[in-house]
Amino acid sequence: MRTISGVVAAGLLSLGVLASSVAAAHHSFAVFFDNEAGIVSVRGVVTQFNFTNPHGLIRMQVKEKSGETVEWKAETNSPSILERRGWKKDSLKAGDEIIMEGWRARDGARYMRMRKVTKADGTPVGIPFESMEVR
Amino acid sequence: MSTAARLAFIGLLASAGIQAAIAAEKPASHPNLSGFWMLASGKPIEDPALKAKISPGTVILNDTGAVEFPRGEYGGLKLTPAAETAAKNWDSKDDMTVANACRIPSIIYAMQGPFPIEVFQGTEMTVIRLEYFDMARVIFTDGRKHQTGDGPMTKVGDSIGHWEGDTLVVDTIHVKEATITNNGLSHSDKIHVTERFKLSADGKKLLATQEFEDPEMLLNKGVRFITWNRVEGDHVHAYDCDPSFAENYAR
Repeated sequence: MRTISGVVAAGLLSLGVLASSVAAAHHSFAVFFDNEAGIVSVRGVVTQFNFTNPHGLIRMQVKEKSGETVEWKAETNSPSILERRGWKKDSLKAGDEIIMEGWRARDGARYMRMRKVTKADGTPVGIPFESMEVR
Repeated sequence: MSTAARLAFIGLLASAGIQAAIAAEKPASHPNLSGFWMLASGKPIEDPALKAKISPGTVILNDTGAVEFPRGEYGGLKLTPAAETAAKNWDSKDDMTVANACRIPSIIYAMQGPFPIEVFQGTEMTVIRLEYFDMARVIFTDGRKHQTGDGPMTKVGDSIGHWEGDTLVVDTIHVKEATITNNGLSHSDKIHVTERFKLSADGKKLLATQEFEDPEMLLNKGVRFITWNRVEGDHVHAYDCDPSFAENYAR
């Protein structure tokens, strides 16, 4: 288990799961994101959601344990792929409270590659990658 | 070329492919590869017949699809000094710039990526539309030879194809420099690609190998197995890459 300020949950991730759930893009996932460290999860409020290729981007405000509010950013898989998983350009809007899971940037920035997004009421956004065999 | 112009060009190519597919009556001896194909997750199928055609000494790369090698790992490919130097000097942060965020890869990287393709098969040409970066390939099967040595270099290259039994064999040259493994190793415009495409016995999968050699950058040959699943009722979507995405990383 890993603890990061502002992180509410973390888990280990096998290479096999990673291989089946991350879409390669113009920049290398393996080089940019720390899959060995496992999944990080943050809870916060969406401030911006862009849904354009090569990656969508979610900005969110996260309240740390210290009380400080910081910004986290998460890039998504290609929207053209996510659309086939039920995502839409208005799947998230400013003010939505969400739980974001993903792989953190290797350089330690508050930046991650999204794996899964769940709304505060427990509703998943789109179809999580690990539950879909073909696409 | 602007995005609009590129899309228009792709539309023309796709239209040509569709018309070819419709107008042409396919010889019964050739399987029909036409359709929408989504890259299969997990390890690709190593079809024995395709495997038997791989050149001796060729290394099989296990990075098809979502898998990517970390920095310094090239899956058994042996680099020339020029490639070693380029890989050593590669700065991954350069890929996260507005100038490079939408830089189009070549077919070497794009064909094995986790994006769908759509195949329009005719008798004189087969068109492959890639969702990734709105790419479109035209594979001539009318018996023509490759363009001459001073022909243009492009990310899709100059492709000619022929049938060997149930397998479409595609030979491609004139491919513009681009990444091989997305971690600093690039190919030169001297790369030569041989691809083999065939249907699975039940017709639900498209099986392929992508074999390549590049005397300027590689000391050995490499090959990837690629498997796609047939999906009915879907089509390639527009990609329309937006480079402003790169600004978000830094600020």
